[in-house]
Amino acid sequence: MADSTEEIHKAIKRIKLIGWVLAVFTVITVGLSYVELPTHTMNIVVGMIVAAFKAALVALIFMHLNHESPLIYKILAFTTAFALALFVLFVFSASDPLVFDSFYESNK
Amino acid sequence: MDIPYTVTARPDTGLYNAKVGIWLFLASEVMLFGGLFSSYIFLRVGADYHWPVHELDVRLGFVNTLVLIFSSVTVLLAWANLKLRNIGKFKLYMLLTVLCAMTFMVIKSFEYRAKFSHYAVKLTDGTFLTGHLPHGYEIKFGEATQLSFTVQSETAAIDADPDGYVLPFIQGDTPKFKTESGNEIILDKSTFKDLRSASLEAAKAAGKNSGSFKLVAASPLTFQAKPSQILGYTATTMTFRDGTVAQGKLLDDKMTLEVDGVDTRSVPDAEKSIAWGTQYLGDGWKKAFITNRDHAKKEFEEKYPTRDPQKSATHQKEAFYLKIKSSTPPSGEEHGDGHKAEAKAEGHGDDHSAHGHHPEVVLDKKDIAFYSNYTPKLNTYYAIYFTLTGLHGLHVVAGALVLTYFLLFDGKMLRNDPERLANRVEVGGLFWHFVDLVWIFLFPLLYLL
Amino acid sequence: MSAAATSHDHSHGADHAHDHHDEPGFLGKYVFSCDHKVIGIQYALSGLLFLLLGFFLMLLMRWSIAFPGQPVPGLQFVESLPGLGWLFHETLGRWAPGGVVNGELYNMLGAMHGTIMVFLGIVPLGFAGFVNFVMPLQIGTIDMAFPKLNMWSFWLFFVSGVLMLYSFFVGTGPVQTGWTMYSPLASTTTLAVSNVWAHGHTWWLTAMVFNISASLLGSVNVITTVINLRAKGMTWMRMPFFCWAMFVTSFLLLLAFPPLEVAALLQLVDRVFGASFFLPTGLMEGGQHLDISGGGSPLLYQHLFWFLAHPEVYVLILPAFAILAEVIPANTRRPLWGYKSMVYASLTLGFLSFLVWAHHMYLTGMGTMMSTYFQITTVLISVPSVILLTGLMISLWGGSIRFTPQMLFASAFLPMFGIGGLTGLPLAFTFIDLALHDTYYVIGHFHYVVAPGTIFALFAGVYHWYPKITGRIMSDFLGKLHFWPSLLGMNLIFAPMFIQGMGGFHRRWYDGGKYFEQTSSASNWVTELTSGVFGIFGMDVPNNLLGLNVLMSVGAFILALGQVPFILNVFLSIKGGKKVQSDNPWNCTTLEWATPTPPPHGNFTFEPVVTRGPYEYSVPGCSQDYLPQWESEPGKAATAPASTPAPVAHH
Ligand code: HEM
Ligand SMILES: [Cu+2]
Repeated sequence: MADSTEEIHKAIKRIKLIGWVLAVFTVITVGLSYVELPTHTMNIVVGMIVAAFKAALVALIFMHLNHESPLIYKILAFTTAFALALFVLFVFSASDPLVFDSFYESNK
Repeated sequence: MDIPYTVTARPDTGLYNAKVGIWLFLASEVMLFGGLFSSYIFLRVGADYHWPVHELDVRLGFVNTLVLIFSSVTVLLAWANLKLRNIGKFKLYMLLTVLCAMTFMVIKSFEYRAKFSHYAVKLTDGTFLTGHLPHGYEIKFGEATQLSFTVQSETAAIDADPDGYVLPFIQGDTPKFKTESGNEIILDKSTFKDLRSASLEAAKAAGKNSGSFKLVAASPLTFQAKPSQILGYTATTMTFRDGTVAQGKLLDDKMTLEVDGVDTRSVPDAEKSIAWGTQYLGDGWKKAFITNRDHAKKEFEEKYPTRDPQKSATHQKEAFYLKIKSSTPPSGEEHGDGHKAEAKAEGHGDDHSAHGHHPEVVLDKKDIAFYSNYTPKLNTYYAIYFTLTGLHGLHVVAGALVLTYFLLFDGKMLRNDPERLANRVEVGGLFWHFVDLVWIFLFPLLYLL
Repeated sequence: MSAAATSHDHSHGADHAHDHHDEPGFLGKYVFSCDHKVIGIQYALSGLLFLLLGFFLMLLMRWSIAFPGQPVPGLQFVESLPGLGWLFHETLGRWAPGGVVNGELYNMLGAMHGTIMVFLGIVPLGFAGFVNFVMPLQIGTIDMAFPKLNMWSFWLFFVSGVLMLYSFFVGTGPVQTGWTMYSPLASTTTLAVSNVWAHGHTWWLTAMVFNISASLLGSVNVITTVINLRAKGMTWMRMPFFCWAMFVTSFLLLLAFPPLEVAALLQLVDRVFGASFFLPTGLMEGGQHLDISGGGSPLLYQHLFWFLAHPEVYVLILPAFAILAEVIPANTRRPLWGYKSMVYASLTLGFLSFLVWAHHMYLTGMGTMMSTYFQITTVLISVPSVILLTGLMISLWGGSIRFTPQMLFASAFLPMFGIGGLTGLPLAFTFIDLALHDTYYVIGHFHYVVAPGTIFALFAGVYHWYPKITGRIMSDFLGKLHFWPSLLGMNLIFAPMFIQGMGGFHRRWYDGGKYFEQTSSASNWVTELTSGVFGIFGMDVPNNLLGLNVLMSVGAFILALGQVPFILNVFLSIKGGKKVQSDNPWNCTTLEWATPTPPPHGNFTFEPVVTRGPYEYSVPGCSQDYLPQWESEPGKAATAPASTPAPVAHH
């Protein structure tokens, strides 16, 4: 991370810029949520893409993950993998893609 | 003797200890919120009711998002200024960050407060009436003269306990009771204990596991309790949660609700909802509902001719969830009246000043399937909303406390070893950004989508 | 960053404010200590105490199983004691009128036995205790990376223990719904209790939240220490396997526990605020709809729970491997066989353990794809387990084995864990699990891995490192007196469980199946033998599956007696044990033996420099049969600057 005075001044500028970008994208998120896309699921997907973009900015710039030690990348990579398992496998086990609706629907 | 690498980085890993520590901690936080978000998905995918969309106050959520973003910037500026040894600016930005955290929590608590005083009542046909309970909701039970207690030997989880389960609901002065043997007593912990042990002794002598005894009130009693505070009642008895039974007469179990919304999305035929019955909202509101629904339908068909209105969550909400903004139904057949009224007062009655502008209905107990204020009890959406935001709020508070500590109590380190303090601020900042990052997902998921 | 180019630059530390912590008072030294060794001992002792408590609960259960409806001998006597009697009455006695364990009490005992053993016994002793004491010494550092957090970790754990114990005293008694605490049952039992704090469930959940926070702090500390505080020359691949296994364990704790914390929090919200996270729509109890919104999912709880609880079983077993990887080479005088493959196996194990959890949930109606996926990963994960076991087993080959007590326990571990692991494999397949799920077979499976497996390894660890802590060696005789009855008792208890389980015995019968006497009449040579042997002593034990209940309970009793020598040994050897002749009594190669005995605050009297791998035993051409990591040649401490800089982490 930045250590020399010059670099820190640069960093300050960058931080302020990203702050504005985040604010603008917050407005965009709110606006998009009122647009009626063909399905509500699409609204959710679009909303999550914007949120993921904002989150990436925070993680990369504010948390300076854009240049961090490889060790931390590794830790986070595993964490992300397990978190994904948490998301994907939970949902799949509730509605198995192979038997999809048919089985569960008939039970409703 | 000092732990190495508290200030400088270890050459082969390129990290100082606290940096490794905070990232590990954040990794576990990712799993924590990962678990919560995946619960959110699981609950939403499996929800058997209409998942609320745009039901929270978007404006407040929006402001809070900006507040957090701003604080994320200021905490970084504080760190940068400390690195530059601009101590004054460091302190200023730190202070701003902490103030942001406070603002966030204050706004949050306003949001919570409004929810707690707002109720939803599910009628037996699936209609939801939302609104306020001007007088609360309590069961009144009167002319009670006799109380029967059942006391267990020690193996039962719940035992008769008038102190916690019965006495709090008696109206008026401390009552006097007559025991079976004719003594006059005041019921409290110690007198009850005597009665209890006497009864148990008698039970033991008779070879039984539980004893019972009755008390007769000197003058008739009136009880008043929330349904959740008692076990049940009939026209002539009231059973408390400790199993104690009072004999008397049911006075009142009707619920008075100031209705600010009728949600018929789960009713097979919305026009037949109980809510439109003459004793409740009546034909006038039913007409308003139909007008509003047909208007919404027409609008939807014009705008999106190819889409299936059944599949549009927002359309379903607009068409079948009537917001009520006035005490009498809008007269005449003007189109879009419901719509205009809605536009006038967003936030459907969360503000108390609107009380006078809602129709009051008196609901029969037999029509009520379930009711709750807007708390985790209401449905899984509010359950996950309060849990997620509550936990996030805890993180905000914790982060703010840590930053305040750096600001106020690390003066010595600031003078002697500013580089180390800068490390601390950096690590605290990382946590703070994570809190922001979680909110970036929470805001759309709970408020918008 | 530039300043750090020369490593081990301690000069900047001179002016640190906290430099003056060298003279702590009694409290600071033994109670609120930040020293990793003290914290390790605190953890280990509390873990041992909890293991003992959990064991007592189990003895009561075993009595109820073998002799349902009959008063437990001695209970009435305990109740009549002054003081202790009161305590006993308030906790358990009040549920056992006439000294008979009824179904309710049995359920409490079962749930608390599981909880205490797993979360308050084995993990604190096996992981926190050993890792805190041994790991910083082994990697050659002066303390953990965050000593204060370390202290907090212990005291949070302590609070969680107190809260858990307190649940014995509240109105409803402790939880009755198994260590797995499945909703909706757990969330709806005795729902009428309006004061949630009079409910054991609330206390259980709160205790778990504390427990989890404690292990989070602990694991952050361990990982950071391993990453950043290794001594000069201690590269990743020179690290003793102990540290590797503990490193992986810490990651399991770090990343798997949070979802359990979520489960506990959500269940707490259900309990305290009446939410319906885990309660489905239309749930009824006693013919009445509950006053809940519904809409939640019991399945969600099981996912969150097992997402932790499967990695948790590796949290239970990896410390065992960690300890044995030190004990076995030291006692066979042979290098650990396949050090590298063992390291990679444990990393693989750690990774895979996150992806198999739903093999505990085959019967929840998963679809084909998901159950196929979980069957495959479950079978896959047995591969690294087998590699670890094989590595240890082959390490025995050609060694000149010293049968010290720790080695006895270590060598018994190998076949015992083998049985446990092999009986797990059939369970990995849905069509077999269909029959065996929730039977005693499963109980037998995991107890073989945890009891004569992990717990034996923990005993081995205690015997092995006791001299470092106290400067005295534990009695060999008492050690053997401890070992043989333990081995016998364990097998008498757990082996018959497989037979009963395949006979269909459910795992939670408080009467051990008496109610189903008509259908429990199967017999085989084991039941015949049991009946015959007990006949010799004049006991009438039926020649059928029920008869095994008596056999197992007798086994439990033998096991209990077997622990007496151990307890005596631990206490008596503090003053009466044989004094160690050197700081390295077992002639080991790892760094903890380079410290004075007991290690002082700050650990090392010289700056350790590591010049070789951890298991250089019986090196050909060397004058002694071990070459310590810190010596450049026998008897001479290495001082050279670190040879190669450590490469970046490999996990
Ligand atoms: C070696 C490979 C292993 C395999 C394939 C395996 C497989 C399984 C399966 C499929 C079950 C679920 C059975 C059921 O509930 O129907 C199970 C239960 C269990 N296993 Fe294993 N296991 C293995 C190793 C271990 C180890 C090393 C431990 C502990 C240190 C362990 C501890 C447990 C526990 C505690 C349970 C039961 C949890 C409960 O229901 O209360 N297993 N095992
Ligand atoms: Cu498992």
